[in-house]
Amino acid sequence: MHRLGLAALLAVVAMVAAVFVAGGSAGTSQKPKTGGTVIFAAEQEPPCLNGALDGCNNTWTSWTVGTSLRALYIIKPSFAIVPDMADGEAKVSRTGGKFTLTIKIKKKAVWNDGVPVTVKDFVYTMQSYLDPKNEVAGRSGWDSIGSVKSLSKDGKTFRVVFKTPYAPWKVLLATSLYPQHALQGTDFNTVWNENYNNPKTGKAMGNGPFILSNYTKGQSITMTRNPKWWGPHKPYLDKVTFVFRTNTDTEIQAIRGGEVDAIYPQPQLQLVDLRNQPGLKIESNAGTTFEHFDYNQQLKGGMPLFRAPWFRQAVSYAINREALINQIYKRFNPKQGVLQNLSYANSQKGQYEAHFGVYKYSPAKVAQIMQKHGCTKGSDGIFTCQGTKASIKIGTTSGNRLRELVVEIAQAQAKAAGIELVPANAPSRILFPQLSDGNYQIAMFAWVGSGDPAGQVDIYGCGGAANWKGYCSKKVTDLLRQSDAELDPTKRTALVNKADAIMALNVPTLPLVQKPTFLVYKTKIKGIRDNSTLQGPTDNMEDWWVS
Amino acid sequence: MLTYILRRLLYSVVVLFAASFLVFTMVSAAGDPMSELRLNPLISEETLQRQAEEKHLNDPIPVRYVYWVKEAVTDKFGTPLFVNEPIWDDLKRVIPHTLALVLAAELISLLIGVSIGIYSAIKQYSVFDYAATTFSFLGFAMPVFWLALMVQIAVTNLFLAWNVRIFYTSGLSSPDPGTGLHWLLDRAQHLALPVMVLCVLNLAVYSRFMRASLLEVVNTDYVRTARAKGLTEQRVTMRHAVRNALIPVVTLAALNFGALIGGAIITEQIFQLDGMGNYFIQNLFSQDVYPIMAWLMITAIAIIIFNLIADILYGVLDPRVRYD
Repeated sequence: MHRLGLAALLAVVAMVAAVFVAGGSAGTSQKPKTGGTVIFAAEQEPPCLNGALDGCNNTWTSWTVGTSLRALYIIKPSFAIVPDMADGEAKVSRTGGKFTLTIKIKKKAVWNDGVPVTVKDFVYTMQSYLDPKNEVAGRSGWDSIGSVKSLSKDGKTFRVVFKTPYAPWKVLLATSLYPQHALQGTDFNTVWNENYNNPKTGKAMGNGPFILSNYTKGQSITMTRNPKWWGPHKPYLDKVTFVFRTNTDTEIQAIRGGEVDAIYPQPQLQLVDLRNQPGLKIESNAGTTFEHFDYNQQLKGGMPLFRAPWFRQAVSYAINREALINQIYKRFNPKQGVLQNLSYANSQKGQYEAHFGVYKYSPAKVAQIMQKHGCTKGSDGIFTCQGTKASIKIGTTSGNRLRELVVEIAQAQAKAAGIELVPANAPSRILFPQLSDGNYQIAMFAWVGSGDPAGQVDIYGCGGAANWKGYCSKKVTDLLRQSDAELDPTKRTALVNKADAIMALNVPTLPLVQKPTFLVYKTKIKGIRDNSTLQGPTDNMEDWWVS
Repeated sequence: MLTYILRRLLYSVVVLFAASFLVFTMVSAAGDPMSELRLNPLISEETLQRQAEEKHLNDPIPVRYVYWVKEAVTDKFGTPLFVNEPIWDDLKRVIPHTLALVLAAELISLLIGVSIGIYSAIKQYSVFDYAATTFSFLGFAMPVFWLALMVQIAVTNLFLAWNVRIFYTSGLSSPDPGTGLHWLLDRAQHLALPVMVLCVLNLAVYSRFMRASLLEVVNTDYVRTARAKGLTEQRVTMRHAVRNALIPVVTLAALNFGALIGGAIITEQIFQLDGMGNYFIQNLFSQDVYPIMAWLMITAIAIIIFNLIADILYGVLDPRVRYD
């Protein structure tokens, strides 16, 4: 006993010591080193470089060259949209009954040629978006602006008066600004397609921590430290080079073999094995891409039973989303949870309300609903309601292994609950035209969001442009419309959530999961971290350094 | 001969038109090129409609084909669906990369494959012949994508074990490849694995073809006559047999080369080489019919030209062939 007691004491002492040592080493903050290069594999090559144009509007355009153009606001990993070049939060007011923003740009914020970033750049950016000749991706928000007026001699403080209230104004201000002094008078459609050079001097332009110094089409983009960077510290790295690796298997070998320092691929099952690779660190988070099951209520391609909310509820109880997340998505991100809201992400504290949480897998509940509505079970175990068998086609994008797996597993779950799901997967080029044509029954796909609920009325409002499922609730439509014009964030959230709560009862759509992101990098790269929003993981390149 | 070439070229124009119309129709009918864009919240419906109008996507396919022909002829294939960048500039960039890859692979495999074929034929049913036969069948049977992935994994594992970088597993060059000899070495380190993969298949083809062709020739009357004249075995083989046995191999190589100008699609995709094959795949995924059509035209022209070269070479090498 005595010996055992001593051994136990020694073990406790050893454990306590280990905890202290571990804590000590974890707590030791290394001083960032200056210099070095990081090679980052980009999964897509920007089709062209001017991210404002529809042809170039691609996440990898903004995650690579786009980092040299900062905006007044920036979307943080927490999904919060906070001031970046703006010197503090914009002042929101109503002048003459009109929605007004007073914005101050940081004194230090300059372009790399030393010219200050001012209201002129904001106005030029706005005009470029609004010019009908320019083939921009969208004019939303810019077209709500009535006037812009400088309030200071240096042009650093200005007032923006909106024609109509525009609730997602922070998303608008998170748009990169373009240098008026360099681009005024040029053709916006072509000027920055292959470089970010000032057409007057031929030198690369930007106001970000790194400036585009080389673009070898088909191969790489090199960003070099901006000596005029106005942030709190100068960028630590000399260069960040993005090499294009569009094949996931090739990316895996490239990071394993040290040919690249970081990758940010779409989640694929083969990536999970990288967790066992020494010298690599993996971060996986829930992004702003919402995977969901869309129930088509239109008679054209849909299923008659889907017009009844009780049937949509029954189908929702027949899909075990918890198990789907555990079996598939948690392999990427162990913290991944089921998405229970159509507008807000799990991480949006104070906004996210789990309205769809009521739909927990329950074959008993399915049977109860079915029996209540006079459905009977056939010899194959599948319910038949009003003469229609509960057999539903479910389609997703073929070739996307994760989604195909979800459909396969959901098929087995639903069958156990008396509902037959028949896979009808198709390549995206076939599937999406079918969806927009209303020619489907259940579709599993994703909406790419920004973290802001603006535009939900297009997806869930009566007659909305992307409301392919044909869902229509006047109440929901009104609430979502009001939310798009509500400037008080608290009231806006309440309106969105009220609409979401109604939709949880009607289930036009069953949310599934926020698509996980997957950032892999060498442990020697410090300061790098994931930003699972559309801002991407390269938004803090100035903080990266090599140990 | 000139009449023959002109007639062949004239036929080729018809073939090109037929092929281009068929491919245009099939790619255009395959789906909506804007399907993915519709899910992008940053691209407005108005923008999508404007693009559809500008590129005549709402018109019937034959009308769109006519617009394409006009653009292809007057504006060097024009621009892709959504990008204001000339397609021709991209082609000018990727064609030399593919040529470098294909030329290297063809020359190496011709040199080694023909040598193996000759030796196998001379030493028929020897251990070497059996070994060469086995390896050629392996070469035929191995899917290129599998071989390419295996080679990548093997080289990566070697690097992890020894920490020595001999070859790169992807890309055309390093971000800072240097100049002169450094650049050349860097390019060679990047191209070595894809060339090796392409060689495996080509080696199998050329060695088997050469072996079969030489075995056929060595039993012909003129070879027997050459031996009867008292020539040395080496002179009989190299001067009389091999030279004639090379005729079908040369034809095959010319045809093969023409077809490869379109890019070794799988190899380029897996090794991420910025060549014709990768260009084709990227645009196929984005369902952009215009770059695909430009790729098709270049590939078809290359095949037609190399077919013609093969036919002409046949006549030059074999005096019995006469053109009418």
